[in-house]
Amino acid sequence: MKKLIYSVAAVAILAAAGFMIYQALNTSLVYFILPNEYANDPNNYKNKRLRLGGLVEDGSVDFNTNDLKLYFKISDSIKSYPVTHTGAPPDLFKENTGVVVEGRFQDGVFVSDNLLIKHTEVYEAPEDGKINVEALKESLE
Amino acid sequence: MRLTAIYIFITSIFTAFSTVFASAPINLQRLDAPQVSQQVIDRVLSLGQLGTASLMLALGIIIYALIAGVLGITRRNAQLQTSARYAAVATFLALSTAMMCMEAALLTDDFTVQYVAQHSSVPAPLWVKVVMLWGALEGSILLWAWILSLYTAILAMNTPNHALRPWALNIMQFVQLFFVLVLAFVANPFTLNASGLFVGPGPNSLLQNHWMMAIHPILMYLGFVGLTVPFAFAMAALITKRPGSEWMRLTRRWTLMGWGFLTAAIIAGGWWSYEVLGWGGFWAWDPVENVSFMPWLTATAFIHGIQVQERRRMLKSWNMMLIVLTFTLSILGTFLTRSGVLSSIHAFGDGPVGIFFLIFFLLVLFASLGLVVMRWDQVRDHSELDAVVSRESSYLLGNVLFLAMTFMILLGTLFPLIVELFSGEKVTVGAPFFNQMSVPIFLAIFLLMGIGPLLPWRKAEHQSVIRNLLWMCGVGIIAAAIAYVLGIRRVYPLITIAISGYNIASLGLLISAAVVPRARLSKRNSLQVFRQYAFENRRRFGSMIVHLGVIVTALGIMGASAYRIDEQVKVDFGTSTQFRSYELRAIDMFEEQVPGRGTVGANVEVWQNNRKIDTLRPRINVFVHDGVTQQQPVPTADVLYRVQHDVYLTLSGSLSRDQAFVILRVVQSPLVMWIWIGGFIMAFGTLYCVIPSASERKQERLAMQGSPTNSGNTIS
Repeated sequence: MKKLIYSVAAVAILAAAGFMIYQALNTSLVYFILPNEYANDPNNYKNKRLRLGGLVEDGSVDFNTNDLKLYFKISDSIKSYPVTHTGAPPDLFKENTGVVVEGRFQDGVFVSDNLLIKHTEVYEAPEDGKINVEALKESLE
Repeated sequence: MRLTAIYIFITSIFTAFSTVFASAPINLQRLDAPQVSQQVIDRVLSLGQLGTASLMLALGIIIYALIAGVLGITRRNAQLQTSARYAAVATFLALSTAMMCMEAALLTDDFTVQYVAQHSSVPAPLWVKVVMLWGALEGSILLWAWILSLYTAILAMNTPNHALRPWALNIMQFVQLFFVLVLAFVANPFTLNASGLFVGPGPNSLLQNHWMMAIHPILMYLGFVGLTVPFAFAMAALITKRPGSEWMRLTRRWTLMGWGFLTAAIIAGGWWSYEVLGWGGFWAWDPVENVSFMPWLTATAFIHGIQVQERRRMLKSWNMMLIVLTFTLSILGTFLTRSGVLSSIHAFGDGPVGIFFLIFFLLVLFASLGLVVMRWDQVRDHSELDAVVSRESSYLLGNVLFLAMTFMILLGTLFPLIVELFSGEKVTVGAPFFNQMSVPIFLAIFLLMGIGPLLPWRKAEHQSVIRNLLWMCGVGIIAAAIAYVLGIRRVYPLITIAISGYNIASLGLLISAAVVPRARLSKRNSLQVFRQYAFENRRRFGSMIVHLGVIVTALGIMGASAYRIDEQVKVDFGTSTQFRSYELRAIDMFEEQVPGRGTVGANVEVWQNNRKIDTLRPRINVFVHDGVTQQQPVPTADVLYRVQHDVYLTLSGSLSRDQAFVILRVVQSPLVMWIWIGGFIMAFGTLYCVIPSASERKQERLAMQGSPTNSGNTIS
């Protein structure tokens, strides 16, 4: 009898713990994708927190020093999306630099709360204007 | 005598071999960089070759020590065993030589050694050169191995002659063998710089940027190695079929010291992260942080578990498994962070080393768990819990919670790997997961921490339990009510404050339960009695100090995470802006050029109620390596430390000379300072437990002389 109670209790606790872990994991997974991956399947990433990687598009950067809002477009040469970020651009933030922004899509605009500069050479000199997307992703990871 | 002679013969052959090997001429023609001094080029004996030779020497001695150690046991040959013990000292000397070679190479900018060429630089300040020994992968393994050899040597010379000693030393030597093999053949820090060029990026700017980096790794390895000692004795106890409590008693201090160092290392790591990483946080649930936290959790469980075993002869196999887990998790952590399988801000990057740590991890895990299974009849518990409400059951429940926490962190850390394996998607597990899981578990642990030590062993009287609980809950509710009145409305902070009050009451009850009856009996004043109690029951009182430190740290973490304010403000030079109760006045910008580093920053005065409190100098450091700009500029925070909250300033974006304004990131973290203070209290409490009281010292002296005392039952 005692054993039965213990085992039932153990199973119940394990089930509760498993459920809690599942819930917590589900809500806090952050997907790392490039703009074209989002474009392929936006519903899959709806309302999910994302790490979006890509290059800062030429001529897209605008930093408003009054409300400290940074606007730019992030691109992987296939697809690009507008990004808003609160805060000044980091020191090495330039056009065509690799960046990873963390946040969510809201009405087609990526709202970022964390902006990281990634330094790699893969995409610095694309030969025919085309970028190897897989290599780009690898290098931004 | 003959064996000592053989030993000396073998060492001298190694020394001769290494000297010949080391003095071979090396080609320095290609080292054309002007920074290499003539002194380095003229060196006949290359430090790199000398270092490799001392590693080889160490390897030879370790192999000898293992053979002598095992043969000494199987043949019951005391001389061989003695020889193996001296060999442990010799290993230490050989690895010390290697350490000195590396330091000499770093300090003289000997770029013929690849490690130095890659990770050091001529203009780096002296302290950076010194600590660069453990600033990168190969060097940090060398440091680990060296500390291991130091501990092994101390154990070999200092442990009383005990049946467990020979095997424990063999296990330590076996672990050393792994590290020295890795050093000699996989990650040799003394590899010569074949290309002759300055290939490396120089010292990592994040490490260079703060002195904390000098001590954090040392503390970490002192902790890991310290916890290797109880592991070695546990295995020795299984091998020699003596799975009682002796192995725990013999290693009690090592365990506590290892735990104390690990605690200090984790707190120091948090402080470093706070000061250096520029986001004003102290813990990001980053894989590197997680893998250092897991062994800490299992070690904490172990420290509590062994008390149950000492008192009640229970949990033998459980404790064995906890110490195996603690040791293997520290190895697994090294695999995860050094192999590139997990990306992390401070991972050391890919390398061939990882796979060897994985193999060693699996080997140790299966071998030691196999050993536990083989000895199952002896480690199985014969007694059962007498009552649900008792000291041992609260410790056991706490242990389960610590393990659940470890499992949860392991899952969260490895989950990205699992997802990528199955779906190919790249994910990270965000901090919310860890926070959601760990906060309730920790609160439950704190509940147990308060009541557990108040419960008697075996079976508690319900009346006294209820009386104590009433006191504790009363204080807890009052604390929460005060917090509520002061404006704290959120649930978890209120619970944390209530539980802290509950725990403070528990400490008060523990002390009064010890002091009041004694004072009544002896008719002395209670302060005197308290002082005597605190001095004589170091272990018990020390544990109270540690628990106090835990509460202080918990309150700090609660304040700094729940009520953190993080804003960006733009201030024109010469004007000021309001931030909460402070006025931030941007005075001017400054520039600094020292060899190896360029700095731009802003002088920002912090005013409150028309009174200047401090001038903060947040800045951006650019470290320069051999004339070339190196890595990313490092925004470096300046912090106003205050008791109630810190004001933390970093420069956001860039700062140039023609700029009329500065953009500041301002972080206000309430109570964050108390995390470090709590860590200090925990470390102090551990030290308090470890230093023996007068009566313990007397007993130990008797034990060393070989008189049969039953020390374990009286030291408590």
